[in-house]
Amino acid sequence: MGTKGMTAGRGTTEINDRVGTAGWSPKRQEPRPEMSRFQGDRLARRKLIKLAASVAATGPLLLLPRGAPAGTRTLRIAKWTHFVFEFDEWFTNYAADWGLRNATRVVIDSFPVEKIAAVAAAQIRADDGHDIFMFPWPPAQYYQHTIDHTEIYRAVAGKYGSIPQLAYRSTLHPRNGKHFAFADFWLPCPLHFFQDQWLKVGMPFGPLTYDSLRSGGKTLREKHGIPSGLAFTATLEGNVTLHTLLYAFRAWVLGANGSVLFNGNAFAVEALKYIRALYQESGTPAQLGWEPRGNVRAMLARRTSCTANAISLLRVAEKQDTGLAGRIWLQPPLIGTNGMGITALPHITNCSAIWRFARNQDAARQFLADLVDSSRLGYEKSLGCNFPIYPKTVPDLVVRLSNDSHADPPGKYLELKDSLHWTPNLGVPGFATPEYMEIFNTSLVPRMVQSVLKGERSPQDAAAVGAAEMQRIVAKWQQQT
Amino acid sequence: MMENRHTRLWLGVLTLALPLLGFGAPAAGQERPVFDAERNFNPPPCDYSDTFYRDNGVEPTQVTGRFGDARRTGPPASGNQVNWVTDQSCSLNDPQRRNVRILATTGGFSDDGTATPADFISILGFLTSARAFEPNYTRQVGQQTISIKQGTNPRGIATLRVLANFEAYAALKQRLPDGSFAANPCAAHMATPLAPATPCFAVNSVDTVFTPNLRQDWRFDTNHNAIDGSDGNCINTDPALCPGGINNSPFGYFCDDLLGIWLIDYFWFTADPANPGSVCGPIYRSLIRKNGASLDGTPIIKTADELQNLIEANGCGAEGKLSVDGSDGGAVGFICPAIPDPRNGAIAKDAFLDQVRLPDGSPQNRQLTVNFLSLQRFGVFPFEKGERDGDGNQGDDGGQGDDGDK
Repeated sequence: MGTKGMTAGRGTTEINDRVGTAGWSPKRQEPRPEMSRFQGDRLARRKLIKLAASVAATGPLLLLPRGAPAGTRTLRIAKWTHFVFEFDEWFTNYAADWGLRNATRVVIDSFPVEKIAAVAAAQIRADDGHDIFMFPWPPAQYYQHTIDHTEIYRAVAGKYGSIPQLAYRSTLHPRNGKHFAFADFWLPCPLHFFQDQWLKVGMPFGPLTYDSLRSGGKTLREKHGIPSGLAFTATLEGNVTLHTLLYAFRAWVLGANGSVLFNGNAFAVEALKYIRALYQESGTPAQLGWEPRGNVRAMLARRTSCTANAISLLRVAEKQDTGLAGRIWLQPPLIGTNGMGITALPHITNCSAIWRFARNQDAARQFLADLVDSSRLGYEKSLGCNFPIYPKTVPDLVVRLSNDSHADPPGKYLELKDSLHWTPNLGVPGFATPEYMEIFNTSLVPRMVQSVLKGERSPQDAAAVGAAEMQRIVAKWQQQT
Repeated sequence: MMENRHTRLWLGVLTLALPLLGFGAPAAGQERPVFDAERNFNPPPCDYSDTFYRDNGVEPTQVTGRFGDARRTGPPASGNQVNWVTDQSCSLNDPQRRNVRILATTGGFSDDGTATPADFISILGFLTSARAFEPNYTRQVGQQTISIKQGTNPRGIATLRVLANFEAYAALKQRLPDGSFAANPCAAHMATPLAPATPCFAVNSVDTVFTPNLRQDWRFDTNHNAIDGSDGNCINTDPALCPGGINNSPFGYFCDDLLGIWLIDYFWFTADPANPGSVCGPIYRSLIRKNGASLDGTPIIKTADELQNLIEANGCGAEGKLSVDGSDGGAVGFICPAIPDPRNGAIAKDAFLDQVRLPDGSPQNRQLTVNFLSLQRFGVFPFEKGERDGDGNQGDDGGQGDDGDK
């Protein structure tokens, strides 16, 4: 059974890019995880093998609760492995408790973020799998295979208000008016920078704008040998960073009506030329080879001066080396150009989908609706990474940000207080449509950028090729719906 | 001198024209009212005290060209004009001010889509780098402590973030003295790759944003954070109520940006209007028909939509910001508080309008001039004059002397 994803997060001798348990949490919570077993008779052997193979390749399985009475119903949950171990640990226990309260055996399987798409696709092909599948991004591509989640939003509305915009635009399929998933939290993506390094180039509060990132980054590398470290590869970080950058340059991928805007104006080539200049003047060749969370590892090793990421990066630093963490400051995203203002896409939009083939849809709906009640705990256990979709669940969010017990100074995280203002949904200015999410999940943008950075294509050619590929994807989806 | 004569001539013409616009003297037989103090309750703008600068995160000694310490004469003042005067009433009216009253009143467009030339600001000084922002500061006021920690005030607002939320658009002249057209600024990091890097127009000193170096009047970004609350905030989470999504501008200009700090966004054209090409040519012509031409012969830009969706989207223009490390040498931002309400005395009788002028000295935007003169003489915008006349207190300022051509 492959356990690569989980063990990488639980502490190795290498630089650990996931918040583990050794620091702040004195005790590891029980129960200990076990391997889950799919016991449904309906699961064909061939499908089981296929599914098991996909699961085995990606991570361990958990079975909860132990000793559940025989004959109780089973709720199977697949989720992405959170960057903060404490959250997954809490979630496991929460699910177990929920299962006890609802006479349900809850099975949880965690998969590294980069494996999520493959596992989901395998389950769809098998027409079987988990009941709830928690994605780190809107699973719009799978809308034909999920139930309509509108009912869950309605159920939650009674307590916490109507559906917030970020959830609405991240989970609604605009062409059929149904919600293909349910969103309950998200992770903002601020800029992390080493204040002591940027102080050397006269930017003690960070680069503020993309222009200053370029000029300051250039000086930092030239005079101090420290490259800047935005993620450019086909990873979650690379995707989010580059989609953010394109959006901030007004080089929008799709329009509000779903049509391809990219390369329909001057912004795309301008943005690609900017990225190339940024890389050539202030980057490092290592950037082109970074695997998932490579940007985090580079920052933790102080090999780069800044990056855009969820605050899990800073949380890791706070746990591993308080001195290092003290030097890392946050700032809201860089100010875009062409009138775009301050903006960054969410690092994570946690979207839970209940498959049409789910055997226990009622329990799945209930679980997701109940989970919102625990958003505050989720926020705390994720060490402040998980911002609630429903603000009422953590009404004192700004107070918490202003006085964080692990931060130095305690108000460091206040830079996030307006994050809902500067965070639009994936797919902006439209919705997170199937076509946009296919563009996102196939890493079309990072591949396009890489072709420029490696000198394989000019910005003009890369933009043209990228736009053509986007057009092909859009056309494909429009034929389907 | 020639320019000054033209200026006076133009202002004289406008003064004569004001009665035709409904700003006439009281009708015959009516009693000429005395100065109405109730309607002149808005004190004119003054510079802030050093303490107030520091309380709000800016080190005043790092403010370049600060009114009261520098730039008494010279642009925007011309001839015998001065940009500021010593006035003991400043600190009496507002203890947060020092006794330096600002006469130079810069006008510009609200970038809210209306293209209204109704914003009036006082450019108190320039910020050339992030060094102007205090990292740490503490002052005890009675039982209260005013503190800045790591550049952030007790409300959790970093001064630099305030700067980042309010953008003023500077339109520097691109026509060089030799007649060539510079399609990019002389700052490599902000130059657009869509146009040649040379020849370039200078951005390496604060002088470059002085009015004589502008091709058109300023535009003030109110589409992200409106200075008048008109930014269309919609904070309800119900999509039915906010179909365009949440727009919750986190900063309010008059409540968070207490110093009136703006980040300068330089915008320019990438195609010479003398030879704009097949793409930019029609766009230029269309906009010139609508808004008029700048001093370079390029279109005047009044709204964000014009700049972004017409000019920049078609590769006919670009924008950029100077590096906050100060390495470019020019104005990264400026302290230029907008006058909250320019009516009712806020435009003093001795103030003068700082606006872009044509080579013959006439104003490039006459509506701006009319607005200014109306506010200065009558304390109201022109469109309000009728309302005021109608409430039984006509000609409120008539007794203050005819100084409209000042």
